[in-house]
Amino acid sequence: MLTIVIRSIIVYVIVLMLFRLMGKRQLGQMQPFELVLTLIIADLATIPMAEVSVPVLHGIVPLFTLVLIHFLLTTLSKMSNKFGAFISGKPVIIINPNGVDYKALKTLNLSIDDLFEAIRGQGCFSIDEVYYAIMETNGKISVLTKAANSPVTNETLKKQVEETELPVNLVSEGKILKDNLKLAKVSEESISKFVQEKIKGGKVKKVLVFTLDRNGKVVLQMMNGQCMTFENVEMSA
Amino acid sequence: MRVMSKIMLVVIFLSLIGICVAEEIVTSNAIRSINDDCFIIEQTIEGLDDIRTSQLVNLVDNMEYDWLKDESNLCYLVNHKSIQEIGMELARMKNYLGENDIKEFKASLEAIKYYADSYLHFMGANLHNVL
Repeated sequence: MLTIVIRSIIVYVIVLMLFRLMGKRQLGQMQPFELVLTLIIADLATIPMAEVSVPVLHGIVPLFTLVLIHFLLTTLSKMSNKFGAFISGKPVIIINPNGVDYKALKTLNLSIDDLFEAIRGQGCFSIDEVYYAIMETNGKISVLTKAANSPVTNETLKKQVEETELPVNLVSEGKILKDNLKLAKVSEESISKFVQEKIKGGKVKKVLVFTLDRNGKVVLQMMNGQCMTFENVEMSA
Repeated sequence: MRVMSKIMLVVIFLSLIGICVAEEIVTSNAIRSINDDCFIIEQTIEGLDDIRTSQLVNLVDNMEYDWLKDESNLCYLVNHKSIQEIGMELARMKNYLGENDIKEFKASLEAIKYYADSYLHFMGANLHNVL
């Protein structure tokens, strides 16, 4: 049993490392060849874990080989659009201003129900609202709504608004995020001082969340308290 | 692509080449060793009526020792179940040696040679194995 435990740890670490090496794209937007790769990896990884007579190398070698193939295919796809289209396919327009392209739908082996489900997922409950719908190579459907059904934006209203600054999370569950301190150009001491000033007897280790944006807006919530917002805060580096 | 990823890919590529080369070397050495031992034992038993000689006992013990050593290396590379026959046949052979059963002893020796050849066949990189 100890052998299985050790083997499982080894295989887990290697598979994790390989997925990290392949990048985050693998998890969210799988192309057909990436899906195939993920399925095979999942299957291969279990063989040396469960079968003690099989050397771990029998699981690792095909995994390594698949990762190399993956990188080869990815590199070739980047180098040649034709090869990329051959491996991943091309985006297909399934709804155009004339309506649903039934021929394209049949080619993709999609039913009208599938199409409805996909566009409902994009917030459109009628085909009438959709100007264009495109089946992407990763299997997702992107929808461009008709102008009449598009949400009003500041740009359409020709209204000038200030950009919202990205808040930086400085404290998370009582722990100061040191990498973010550099980003926000503030010191640990200034955070402690601010917390003590605003919360009676407040300590950083009792802070649930503490964010700061470039406009000086601080959002602070203690672990046993309510969320508070402070505007125009100046904190020293 | 990040530099670290490139380095990792090169490391993986080199590891794969290293593993393949190591497999070829370890396998061929182990098979050659067992074949050589079989050949020496065959030469020694030729014309003998009683095989319970100290020389033959030593030769069989050496062959067993060599095989166990090679087998432990092979276990890193091949399925353990696929290479267990030689060890079992060696155990039988030692028994036949003790009983002076020349006929069965020779049969075991032939079986070991056959297994060694078949290992070489299924472990090596050839079209039959690939397809």
